Amino acid sequence: MTEVIRCHKLVKHFPIYGGILNREIATLKAVQEVSLSIDGGKTLGLVGESGCGKSTLGRSLIRLLEPTSGDIYFKGENITRLSGARLRSLRKHLQIVFQDPFSSLNPRMTVREILEEPLRVHKIFSEASQLQRRTKELLELVGLPLDALNRYPHEFSGGQRQRIGIARALAVEPELIILDEPVSALDVSVQAQIINLLLDLQRQFGLTYLFIAHDLKVVEHVSDEVAVMYLGHIVESGPSRSLYQNPQHPYTQALLSAIPLPTPKRNRQRIILKGDVPSPINPPSGCPFHPRCPKAQPKCEKEKPILQKIPSAIPTTASDHNHQVACFYPG
Amino acid sequence: MAQTILTVKNLVTSFVLDQGEAHAVDDVSFTVDQGEVLGIVGESGCGKSVTSLSIMRLIQKPGYIKSGEIIFNGINLLEISDAEMRKIRGNKMTMIFQEPMTALNPVYTCGNQIEEVFKIHQPHLSPKQRKEKTIEILKKVGIPSPERRYHEYPHQLSGGMRQRIMIAMAIVCDPLLLIADEPTTALDVTIQAQVLELIKELRKQSQMAMILITHDLGIVAEMCDKVAVMYGGKIIEYGPTDMIFAHPRHPYTLGLLRSIPSLHQGPTKSKLYNIPGSVPSLWEWPQGCRFYKRCERARDNCQRTPPMLTTQDGHQVACYYPITT
Repeated sequence: MTEVIRCHKLVKHFPIYGGILNREIATLKAVQEVSLSIDGGKTLGLVGESGCGKSTLGRSLIRLLEPTSGDIYFKGENITRLSGARLRSLRKHLQIVFQDPFSSLNPRMTVREILEEPLRVHKIFSEASQLQRRTKELLELVGLPLDALNRYPHEFSGGQRQRIGIARALAVEPELIILDEPVSALDVSVQAQIINLLLDLQRQFGLTYLFIAHDLKVVEHVSDEVAVMYLGHIVESGPSRSLYQNPQHPYTQALLSAIPLPTPKRNRQRIILKGDVPSPINPPSGCPFHPRCPKAQPKCEKEKPILQKIPSAIPTTASDHNHQVACFYPG
Repeated sequence: MAQTILTVKNLVTSFVLDQGEAHAVDDVSFTVDQGEVLGIVGESGCGKSVTSLSIMRLIQKPGYIKSGEIIFNGINLLEISDAEMRKIRGNKMTMIFQEPMTALNPVYTCGNQIEEVFKIHQPHLSPKQRKEKTIEILKKVGIPSPERRYHEYPHQLSGGMRQRIMIAMAIVCDPLLLIADEPTTALDVTIQAQVLELIKELRKQSQMAMILITHDLGIVAEMCDKVAVMYGGKIIEYGPTDMIFAHPRHPYTLGLLRSIPSLHQGPTKSKLYNIPGSVPSLWEWPQGCRFYKRCERARDNCQRTPPMLTTQDGHQVACYYPITT
């Protein structure tokens, strides 16, 4: 498959201002030299704990945030420095669905207005009859009743609102959709409905997804590839199955072992990490994970490991050759 | 046989609003024995938090406890005065909440807030003893450098540390019953694992009973001895954890279990099982079985409230057509 989006050494820093003169006193290093790519029709799952930079990465990738450095390519074209009309026409191809279906929909707009807005902005349709046809089509796609058009967001449940958010993103027929925690605000029984909807839509339109979530069970279910983030770095990435069944980075191993599973009376070896995630304003030297790592050696404190293929000593299957880890002592 | 610490019998908690009166908790009964952990699971709006607040007698207007009995350690909590209730609450029966930042007072230091519990429930202690005991409890809940943390304010701590402070406040008086309302929902998965481990550790050291309220079936499987599954203000299934997970009998319980993607199983990107429809709000609860509109097994008589049936080994289910395997 052809690659839809790729970023190379993407960095996003946020300045922090303070003091009497309101000068820049510190930098929050949200995303640090991240390189990744997603092929057409595939899903990359991006996991990590809060504050690890996964949402910032997602937003930088579609130019909702200006990257500090690095390059972003959409279908081979460098889009890092596009502006004006060219950036606007690019936005048609790159859409996003947000976590909170309560705050991401304008409460003063009807569903019709919400769905028509992107079509008008991008001048896809201008005639009323075309707009009407398209909005109805969108409602059917996401499984909402047609009478929803004239209602306001507050009249819908959380799951239905998320469907509206998905319909809005679909309106302009994008190629890539960033799904930023699309199901974490939903109840379990509704979560499954939305996941199924997203999988259906992907199959139907060949959509490419970046699926950002902290729920590892959901990510495994929807993703072809998975990348694990910690303090702005991707510490491990690879095909979903290989990464979940054969995690190499101690952080990935700890994350996976920390998930409470709905199967009582099973003795699972659990890795409990000590301490909290350090601040991205003052990240630790060397490997970002070394202060919490059960395997840390003196080397980890001094040098930063780079993301590379796992050493050949560890047996892999053919599909695992893309499995990469940023650790001096993997396995 | 362990002693029963809490008996809730036919509890009804009602809210009077403009639209009328609605029973957010409708005829709920269960017991908790000494040293036992009861899990109450359900989705948002099913009445699990209202149940716990009712037990603590913390229901505020426009809500009130309409009927039923709450017997804690031999005392019917619905018959005693507010002053007597205050002696139990925070002392022998305590609670921890979901969001530790809003549950802690931002203008007092952590040490100060824990000491307040001693001031109220153990007034005979001198200030020096109070401080010693507070630092001791901070150590017990695994707070590093407790002497320093004693003087810090909640905003200086991380989410996991704040939840540890909450737990410290809840266990200083060696309670008989601890109610934990979504104690780890606001925390990251690795921090959640730390807090759950702490709760397990503390339970090993005492005979404290616990009610754990959560929407996460994984946490229930890991922590609880028995489970009450709530839907629409009612307990629809109740029994030992192992049995409920191995042989769920209510279609809703089975649906919930099947809609969670499991780790390392099955092909990815396959269709997940899902329960049709969405969780109805308080005003949309149907007559009879609250689940029948979303239920695959529903028939006409489900429009009458199903009785709680007890099967073998104390496994109870409120369904006319329970799943039998």
